[in-house]
Amino acid sequence: MERVHENLVDATFGPRAKAYVDSAVHSKGADLEALEAIVGELKPARAIDVGCGGGHVSYLLARHAGRVTAADLSSEMLAAVAAAAKERGLANLETAQTTAERLPFEDGTFDFLATRYSAHHWRDFEGGIRQARRVLKTGGRAAFIDAYSTGVPLLDTHLQAVEIIRDPSHVRDYSAAEWMATLARSGFQAIDYRTWRVRMDFPVWMARLGAPESAGISIRALQATAPAETREHFSIEPDGSFMLDVMMIQAQAV
Amino acid sequence: MTEVPRPAGQADPKLLEILVCPLTKTTLEYDAARQELVSRAAKLAYPIRDGIPIMLPDEARVIEG
Repeated sequence: MERVHENLVDATFGPRAKAYVDSAVHSKGADLEALEAIVGELKPARAIDVGCGGGHVSYLLARHAGRVTAADLSSEMLAAVAAAAKERGLANLETAQTTAERLPFEDGTFDFLATRYSAHHWRDFEGGIRQARRVLKTGGRAAFIDAYSTGVPLLDTHLQAVEIIRDPSHVRDYSAAEWMATLARSGFQAIDYRTWRVRMDFPVWMARLGAPESAGISIRALQATAPAETREHFSIEPDGSFMLDVMMIQAQAV
Repeated sequence: MTEVPRPAGQADPKLLEILVCPLTKTTLEYDAARQELVSRAAKLAYPIRDGIPIMLPDEARVIEG
C-alpha cells in the first residue's frame, strides 16, 4: 500500500505535465529571481531539483551549475522536462524518477539542492528534508520554496481545505515555524528567509490541474462563507482568485 | 565510466555515476542490453525508460539472488 499516495500524485500531475511547463506562475516569479541570484553567485558543481514538476528550477540551475539532476515522481513530468531542456540546449540536465523520501543518491553527492512547490505533496515531510540533507555535502546550500501557512488556525484550515479540494494529492502547506523546526532537526542551519504573495488566478489555477467543476463550486462556496479575516488575508476576489503566501528558506547543510 | 556518444533513449552516463539503490544506498550495475540498473543488495533491477531511470522500488523487477 506504500505507493497509494504517490500514485495519486502521479495520476494528478502526470497528465498535466505540459500545463506546468507552460505555467506563468511556475516559470516566473520573484522567488525564482531570488533563487537565480543565489545560484548565480554560488555556481555549484552539482545541483539537484527535488520534485522538479515543470522543471523551471532545473532550467534555472542548469544555467549556473555544472550538472543538474531533475528529480520527480512523475515520469510524464520528467519526459516533458527532458524535452524542454533539449529544446533550450541545456545539455547538463539529467532526469531521474524518484520519491523525495528515498533519493537514489549517495551521501554528499550535491553542492546545491532546490525544491519548489513540492514539499506540500510529500507523504513524509521530515523524511524528505532528512534525505535532502543526506545527499548534500556538508557546507552545501539548499533553497526550499513552497506555499506556506501563516500558522493561524482560522486561516490554516481554510488554506488546507481549498488546497485539497482542488488537488486530492495535497498533503499540507507547512508553516514557517514547522519548516524551521524540521530543518533544524535535520541538520540544516537557516541563513535566509523571505516571503512573497502570489496571485492565483482562479480559472487558470483550476484549469492547470484539470480540477473538476464540482471542486470549483466547493471552493467558491467555502470562500463565500469564509469569515472576513479569511477573505481579507487571502485577498479573495469576486471570481475566486486569491493571494497565496509563498516562502523561500535558504539553508546550509551543517 | 567512459565518455561515449549516447544513443537516444539511453540514460546519461554522468547520471549513472551518482545513482545508488534507493533502498540500500549501494552502487548499481548498469545492464545496457536490458536498460536496467541492478541492485545486487536489494535484488532489484530498476528500469530505464526513454533515458529516465525509474528509481522506484515498486516499479523494479525482482531478480534471482
